[in-house]
Amino acid sequence: MKTRGFGPGAAFALLTVPAVVLYAAFFLVPVFIGFYYSLTDWDGFSLSYKMVGLKNYINILQDKRFLNAMSFTLLYTAIVVVFKLGIALILAMLLSQSLKLRGLFRSIYFFPAVLSMITVGMVFNQFFYSLFPPIGEALGIEWLSRNLLGNPDTAIYGVALTNIWQGFATPMVIFIAGLASVPKDLTEAALIDGATPVQRFFSVTLPFLIPMLTVNVVLAIKGGLTVFDYIVAMTGGGPSKSTESLGFLIYQHGMNEMKFGYGTAEAIYVFLLIGLVSFVQIKLLSRKEAGQQ
Amino acid sequence: MRSRRLAFNAFSYAFLSVGTLFILIPVYLTLAVAMKTREETTKSFFSLPNSLYLDNFASVINKAHFWSIFQNSVLITVVSLLLMLLVIPMVSYAISRNMDRLYYKFVYLLILSGIFVPFQAVMLPIFRHMSSLDLLNQGGLIIMYVTLSFAQGLFLSVGFLKNIPLELDQAAKIDGCGVWLTFTRIIYPLMMPIVATILILNSLWIWNDFQLPLIMLNRSPDMWTLPLFIYNFKSETSFDYSLAFAAFALSMAPITILYSFTQKFIIGGLTEGSIKS
Repeated sequence: MKTRGFGPGAAFALLTVPAVVLYAAFFLVPVFIGFYYSLTDWDGFSLSYKMVGLKNYINILQDKRFLNAMSFTLLYTAIVVVFKLGIALILAMLLSQSLKLRGLFRSIYFFPAVLSMITVGMVFNQFFYSLFPPIGEALGIEWLSRNLLGNPDTAIYGVALTNIWQGFATPMVIFIAGLASVPKDLTEAALIDGATPVQRFFSVTLPFLIPMLTVNVVLAIKGGLTVFDYIVAMTGGGPSKSTESLGFLIYQHGMNEMKFGYGTAEAIYVFLLIGLVSFVQIKLLSRKEAGQQ
Repeated sequence: MRSRRLAFNAFSYAFLSVGTLFILIPVYLTLAVAMKTREETTKSFFSLPNSLYLDNFASVINKAHFWSIFQNSVLITVVSLLLMLLVIPMVSYAISRNMDRLYYKFVYLLILSGIFVPFQAVMLPIFRHMSSLDLLNQGGLIIMYVTLSFAQGLFLSVGFLKNIPLELDQAAKIDGCGVWLTFTRIIYPLMMPIVATILILNSLWIWNDFQLPLIMLNRSPDMWTLPLFIYNFKSETSFDYSLAFAAFALSMAPITILYSFTQKFIIGGLTEGSIKS
């Protein structure tokens, strides 16, 4: 019985058309374009360019600026992941008890996560510039009385602090969801058996929290490795290129410094880095599922 | 036991209250500075504004075509969401009911592999491609948002559809429904929970996104979205704190108002989405 002149096979195929066409035309094509230009010396504007083979890829590995961006990005990621998740876990545990104002606290703590990173970055940039130094002077704290973002050695901490302020909220609610999945009778049984709070945390709570921990670590690592908005809003990569992240460097090379081909090759390296992290994520998550069955 | 519990509760309240100060003070300062005159701000950054001084807001709104920028943001977000909430369930339904066929399996894995590709890896080629298609405009931006939402969207909805029994499709077929009718009348309504998750994840992403508008729309101020407006605000005004903070506060306002009404929904949807993807 055919309803509209074609069978179910054709109808199903039609349902896939919009997505397949868009995906091919606006995602796959750019991916191939990117790979193609990474093999050229195109500056982004000229009409002519040369194929240079793997020269960009080789040069990048000896490029001080790229290596600096790489080490900045890795250090930044490490700082942000540790503090973000640490704060998120502590707050999640406190907010999982039965407190009267729990709902209100949760709403307030989650609020930064709905703001845009660029706005938060600009706001904190102003704070670092005009708010913290007077406080530092009043309290006689040397490092706080200068603009944290104005010093190549400390700028990374200023950006990281901003990211932590805004970024702990999402992992926090994921941890809360994880804590809610700990069966009540298990915690009660542990309590009756006289387990100390520390024992209860490590033996009862933590095993249930591992999947959420995996998700949070992976999301936080990805977020750290692709940091861009805060850099644009707060430092512009400075002072003296000390806060150039990989994403920011690609943008600078491709859009502002006429090294389009070179920038796309850098982008391929970032793709490999993130691809590796995502691959590990999927491996970890699928193992978790297997374990549950 | 009980007194220890009470002590711990007191500690929790104290700790959490101090913590909320860290969240609320930056928000308070943003609002306070936005409502002060320049002189007041230089005198004291922290104090409450002397009066309800709204001129800063007014001058931001008048000076910078704020309304047209706000409308751009709303338009881009709403149209992108409508399109993705139609296209993603459509293709997900087709894939989930035909997993045994090569074409569907191939499409599924191909789109899913997009999860491995961070935006920055395709940022430059997207700029090049859209510029050669003459699509560096709102329309082009919407196309990109819809396209870039597929990987996560398919992952979430195909997974969800696996739990909707095939018997429903068969019953609908017996009753004379074709594929399209089965999808619109029976399957789509059942997909609402996952559609809500996709809606929340993507609306926050699109509304707050800075990178795509930066490469696609930055050249023409009449196309700007709110994040671009904020980014460009610094260079436009010879720097005046009060005005800048008024702009920051204005750009935060819409999402803050929305959040205050729908926080449970937003938190729930975001958690769901991040745990699954």
